[in-house]
Amino acid sequence: MVIQVISAAPLTDDERAKIEKRFSVKHPGQKPVFSYSVDQSLLGGLLVIDGDDFYDASLKRQMTRLVSGEAQTERVQPTPAQQAQRQAVLDKLTEQMRIEPLRPDIGKLMRRLDERIDTFKPDYTGSHAGRVCYSGDGVIRIEGLKDAEYDELLDVEGVKAIAFNLEEDNVGAIVLDDEDKVQAGAIVHSTGRIVEVPVGEALLGRVVNPLGVPIDGLGEVHTDRVRPIEAAAPAIADRGKVNTPLQTGIMAIDAMIPIGRGQRELIIGDRQTGKSSIAIDTILNQKGKGVYCVYVAIGQKSSTVSGLVHTLGEYGALDYTVVVCSTARDSAPMQYIAPYAGCAIAEEFMYAGRDVLIVYDDLSKHAVAYRAMSLLLKRPPGREAYPGDIFYLHSRLLERAAKLSDALGGGSMTALPIVETLAGDISAYVPTNIISITDGQIYLESELFNAGIRPAVNVGLSVSRVGSSAQIKGMRKVSGKLRLDLSQYRELQVFTQFGSDLDAETKRMLDQGARATETLKQPLHASYAVEQQIILLYLINKELLGRVPTDRIGAFNKGFLEYLEVNGSELYGRICANGDVSMEDGIALEELVDAYYAYFFKK
Amino acid sequence: MKKNNPKLHFGRVLTVVGPVIDVAFDDGYMPRMYEKLLIDREDGTFTALEVLQHVRPSVARCIALQATEGLSRGMSVVSNGHPIEVPVGKEVLGRVLNVLGEPIDRKGDIDAQYHRPIHRKAPEFYEQATSTEILETGIKVIDLIAPYARGGKVGLFGGAGVGKTVLIMELIRNVAHEHGGYSIFTGVGERSREGCEMIEDMTASGVLKNTALVFGQMNEPPGSRMRVALTGLTLAEYFRDDLGKDVLLFIDNIYRFVQAGSEVSALLGRMPSAVGYQPTLATEMGALQERITTTKNGSITSIQAVYVPADDLTDPAPAAIFSHLDATTVLSRKVVEQGIYPAVNPLESSSRVLEPRVVGDKHYRVARKVQEALQKYKELQDIIAILGMDELSEEDKATVHRARKMQRFFSQPLFVASVFTGMEGRYVPVKTTVECFSEILDGKADCYPESAFYMVGDLDEVRRKAKG
Repeated sequence: MVIQVISAAPLTDDERAKIEKRFSVKHPGQKPVFSYSVDQSLLGGLLVIDGDDFYDASLKRQMTRLVSGEAQTERVQPTPAQQAQRQAVLDKLTEQMRIEPLRPDIGKLMRRLDERIDTFKPDYTGSHAGRVCYSGDGVIRIEGLKDAEYDELLDVEGVKAIAFNLEEDNVGAIVLDDEDKVQAGAIVHSTGRIVEVPVGEALLGRVVNPLGVPIDGLGEVHTDRVRPIEAAAPAIADRGKVNTPLQTGIMAIDAMIPIGRGQRELIIGDRQTGKSSIAIDTILNQKGKGVYCVYVAIGQKSSTVSGLVHTLGEYGALDYTVVVCSTARDSAPMQYIAPYAGCAIAEEFMYAGRDVLIVYDDLSKHAVAYRAMSLLLKRPPGREAYPGDIFYLHSRLLERAAKLSDALGGGSMTALPIVETLAGDISAYVPTNIISITDGQIYLESELFNAGIRPAVNVGLSVSRVGSSAQIKGMRKVSGKLRLDLSQYRELQVFTQFGSDLDAETKRMLDQGARATETLKQPLHASYAVEQQIILLYLINKELLGRVPTDRIGAFNKGFLEYLEVNGSELYGRICANGDVSMEDGIALEELVDAYYAYFFKK
Repeated sequence: MKKNNPKLHFGRVLTVVGPVIDVAFDDGYMPRMYEKLLIDREDGTFTALEVLQHVRPSVARCIALQATEGLSRGMSVVSNGHPIEVPVGKEVLGRVLNVLGEPIDRKGDIDAQYHRPIHRKAPEFYEQATSTEILETGIKVIDLIAPYARGGKVGLFGGAGVGKTVLIMELIRNVAHEHGGYSIFTGVGERSREGCEMIEDMTASGVLKNTALVFGQMNEPPGSRMRVALTGLTLAEYFRDDLGKDVLLFIDNIYRFVQAGSEVSALLGRMPSAVGYQPTLATEMGALQERITTTKNGSITSIQAVYVPADDLTDPAPAAIFSHLDATTVLSRKVVEQGIYPAVNPLESSSRVLEPRVVGDKHYRVARKVQEALQKYKELQDIIAILGMDELSEEDKATVHRARKMQRFFSQPLFVASVFTGMEGRYVPVKTTVECFSEILDGKADCYPESAFYMVGDLDEVRRKAKG
């Protein structure tokens, strides 16, 4: 048995005797052989390697902990010993500064270090450590590190990694950032916690990376709360029934594919069909409704995310929104943890009793990042080369979105995951997996988009499994059969396109379908309040738009709503208050439509 | 836990790779296959494992039934030599259990007299019984085209979001209510939200007191989803074998059982088979399905939802399940697109009991005629798309119009979907269904417009709707 002792400076005989005595006690009956070497990069102290056990009591280790900001404690009056320690560290740092005199912002850095040194708690108990024996493509294998926990955050000389495989004689881990800095031979420490992110209201209005570090250049996030990024979903008995609508402000969705608070609704479609726009419009529409929003960008172009943040700011939506951003330049593991980090941030709000909306944009890129990681970890590929647990990857994420029972505060997390399809193939592997997890899907089609029907929702293939029970009464009344009617309309349209002799009923259905389709068209960032939607759908249901040419329906609707606000403000107020069009209000509304007809055609 | 208890064996965690854990026993003990081991987390909680392989003497490879985050090598493991055993009997009725048979409904412990291991052999050949009686579901398209047999096995196949769960809920509502006996519902890898809603609905309708629910949902690790179907089945078997009852067993969704197996297969060191599935796919499925059977003692009627990945019915998993079933109901996305619910595809669904001997001559004849008409329409569809209806012969035109009416007549408002459609559900007895379709085929309903056939119960309703 050989025990390696590596020290910053040659050890005296006295010191050697001390160490040998300690380790002989640990291995009674055996005669360990000690080998001594010197490694100046340890700066001070020593490192003992005893088989699989690493004992790291080096100054370098303490420095890394200090710089990374981990191991901080409350501010306490330092003891004289700590004072001396602090002085030693300070001197060392100052010396390093001299070597690198051109570092920018040195004053700020010094102040921050000074603060950290004040609260620094040195730890020389000698923790278990390991050493990197393989590093490549962001995957590392570590010898030693016996106490590592599964999924634990590891510290590789300041670089963060996650323990993924605990093998008999080594630990497999993935590197989160700066994978090129990790060298074979680097010392690894376990941190005793799984990956965490800062959470709380301080994050609102901020853009952070998946580790919770702000990247918007607006300074530090001041919060003392953290949450692990992986957490168990609420149990069956902890859930409540989805019963409050989450208004997207988009009529096609609120009427036919309604979303309830606590629901998971997938937005799916080819690229450039307006998927993100629906999510963003939904976030914009939450203004003043007490719903916090979390937007998670996964593997997106940095400029896209920057544009989005700008839009949110422009419409005043940043005040209640957190943006978690992993861009295309981030490593696969970083993109992999991004949605879990966003979910943890949203969970904090949910468990505090609030309603939260979270957007994952998009999960197909997330699946691709996970596939890259899995293949590098040599896990065997399955369908489309995705690993076997690709379903569990998304199911455990999306199950965390829920409506909580009243006993738990009644908060909710509504999730809008986005998935990109290729050439409209909704039945590819990852899309169908996620469809089978979510409570419905909004399917956007490029043909509809190009034909000018925007939002380009394919009504037949879109569905919401829970939302209808959360719709308000008036909405449920007017939207009832709209979805079924419209999908029948589209089927009929195809069937009758060469038909000459159509019966009156078929003609009526076709005409009605065309007018409903026109009514549901809606430009970007122009949301309708739910009452306005109810009124417009009432007009369609009662077939009051028969005299308007199909191509002018949009203008008619817009004009009528304005006309109503001026000439029927009392009626409008009543409909708003009731959330429903009563029998008398309906008659009054019909009269107003008649009046507006004359006005509209005169124009 | 005392270390000197002679009945307990102690080991330690050797490796942790996702949900697969190797455990070494120092005292030469070798746990048996399927034995339950517990990892002591030293904070009062334990993580349950099940032994699946012997790697070498004294080292067992196990699958974790609970989350493995935070486990580390060297943690202490304990075993009492027993496999996973779950409570059985009347005490479980009205309760909600997890894969280990523990209650998850916060209604206190289950004080059952008997416990049974979840792994058992299928009944012997001589014990098998066959049934020749129809189980009425009240759903037109199922009763007519692919009728279910009492004591038989039924599969509801469908891709994502075509309405499997809604249909299985409707069947629970129609069948379990009429049936009156005991029912077991097993949720395998499906949404937790649905579990929560199902408990509420069952409590409200009063069937909960005759039902036991077992859940291992999609947020749980693969080990749990892989075994929870067995837990539900074990409860059903007890009622069949020991109490001689007729039991209904609902499984939503059996595909997740295969999927969970494939998630851990590679980590167990097996070579992947077609499309990345486990090489043991067929045998695993066979061992499970052969236990779901009707014996001379009692019967299990099982209704299983089968998820079809990527809408591909030739995927190895659904393909392996097909051969075990007596009736298959196939839901398809094309039917969904037409707005027809339940989205059953009448040309792909089939049943072993659709034969004159069982359903009677008239039913058989009508069902086959309906299929022929639909098949004819399907063939004519291309011609219509290119040339239009006007180019067809008068006879073909009549066939097309009748087929389109029948397609619509296959739709039906469901009780459990009334909140989506705003329409009260309809229960149509099988006799009425056969009568109605017979009349449509004979041209007696030619005078009513197509739209009158959409989302209705029987022909009387069509007449009323046509009159307005």
